[in-house]
Amino acid sequence: MIRRFTAWIDYALALAVLLGAWWFATGPMAMPTYLLPSPLRTWNALAGIAMSGELWLHLGFTVQNIVLGLILGLVTGIALAYVMTRFPKLAIWVDGPLVILQTAPKIALAPLFVVWFGFGILAKIILIFSLVFFPVFIGAVAGFRTLDPKMKDLSKLLGLGHIQRFRQIELPSAMPEIFVGLKIGAVQALVGAVLAEWMSGKLGLGYLMTYAGATYKTPLLFAAVLLTVVLGLLMHVVLTMLENRLLSWKGAKR
Amino acid sequence: MSQSERMIDIAGVHKTFVADHGTVTALEPVTITIKQGEFISIVGPSGCGKSTLLRLISGLDHASGGTITLDTAGRKRPVGFVFQEPVLLPWKTILENVRFPLDTAGVSRAEADKVALDLIKMVGLAGFEKALPRQLSGGMRQRAAIARSLSDDPPILLMDEPFSAVDLMTRDTLNDELLRIWQSTGKTILLVTHSVDEAAYLADRVMVMTARPGKLKCVHDVDLARPRGEDTKLDPAYHALVAQLRRDLRTPGVAQGEGAH
Repeated sequence: MIRRFTAWIDYALALAVLLGAWWFATGPMAMPTYLLPSPLRTWNALAGIAMSGELWLHLGFTVQNIVLGLILGLVTGIALAYVMTRFPKLAIWVDGPLVILQTAPKIALAPLFVVWFGFGILAKIILIFSLVFFPVFIGAVAGFRTLDPKMKDLSKLLGLGHIQRFRQIELPSAMPEIFVGLKIGAVQALVGAVLAEWMSGKLGLGYLMTYAGATYKTPLLFAAVLLTVVLGLLMHVVLTMLENRLLSWKGAKR
Repeated sequence: MSQSERMIDIAGVHKTFVADHGTVTALEPVTITIKQGEFISIVGPSGCGKSTLLRLISGLDHASGGTITLDTAGRKRPVGFVFQEPVLLPWKTILENVRFPLDTAGVSRAEADKVALDLIKMVGLAGFEKALPRQLSGGMRQRAAIARSLSDDPPILLMDEPFSAVDLMTRDTLNDELLRIWQSTGKTILLVTHSVDEAAYLADRVMVMTARPGKLKCVHDVDLARPRGEDTKLDPAYHALVAQLRRDLRTPGVAQGEGAH
């Protein structure tokens, strides 16, 4: 408890120092606003779009895309990994194409996704999905492959059906590796979401950045960048909490 | 032996594996009939096929020939199995682990809890229901594994070197508790072990197996009074049996013409 508390104090101090430096650069050092807006101006820009409701529209859109992409990538990654470990013959066929897709820089494919799937939400979710899928898939394959053979004996002795075996034994025991993949995928998802919004559409934090940049509204640009950082931090916190809850049985984390 | 007390009938069961360089005989034909409520120990060196025999009886592996008949009236899970390691699900509490066979068989939660709690008490883990496996010692985990194997009340209990991973003192305690559990539940138990002392101390009959190829060498009746305890270990008959088992294991099996190995 005390430990957690001091950790928070550390974070708060670091943030305060950063804020102080920022203020110093804009105040006493008199950096021009179009290069570095002051904390107050940034705050005002943020408050402005928050009041007008615009902020929630953009933030909601980005969060929604990330969540959808994460869920889609998670489910598909686990499903395909499971099928491949269950049917090793299939793995031989699927491995090659997967390696090509995996090594292809998804960012470079992003413009293609726009061409193929349009300016709407579909192209964005597909980009996020493609970024989340591989880390989850690789983690899940590792998890399913390292299943203790004695666990297989146990499920055979108990005559468990496929669904019971998956839900009760295989999925939980692969969970630590899946989570490693999911945490990497979540960072990628945020990058993908912002990038997709840069390229097309009129919504999202990424769009807000390009709009603010193009119209020289630097305080607004700063606000959007900061929001993205905070969003990334929040995702990290949520996933860590989820991990501590789901994987407490591992006992390594405190 | 009357028909009704027969529990396991093993007739000419053998097992061969196909390896890169031809077939390997894991187990030469074994024939034995085991009575209901009997405690059988199986001793032998590594590679004598004792674990193979247990896996064949449990249905985990299939025999290359011969038949195994279990007198268990078509039960879905006729055997409980205790492995060398506890094989508990690390994300489930002790109670959930013990209850696992019942949960997956669709038994109601209230009923399953009652059975599981009784078993946890019987194996001496009362107070640890909510603990996770990693919070327990090796011996305690193995107790939990025994409780789990008993939870859906199988008539037969197969144990594959269940105490080989725990220290000697814990092992003595667990042996006595196993005898107590056996006496109170009336299960038919087959226990595989490396230890001739353990085999003689626990069983009604001891099956001696030899390696390369794995085969049943002989079966000894154990005429020691029950209940057994520290007095048994002072009994000259016990020592004579242990010595006999050692000799059985040391002298190579009936000559196969293969000489030294």
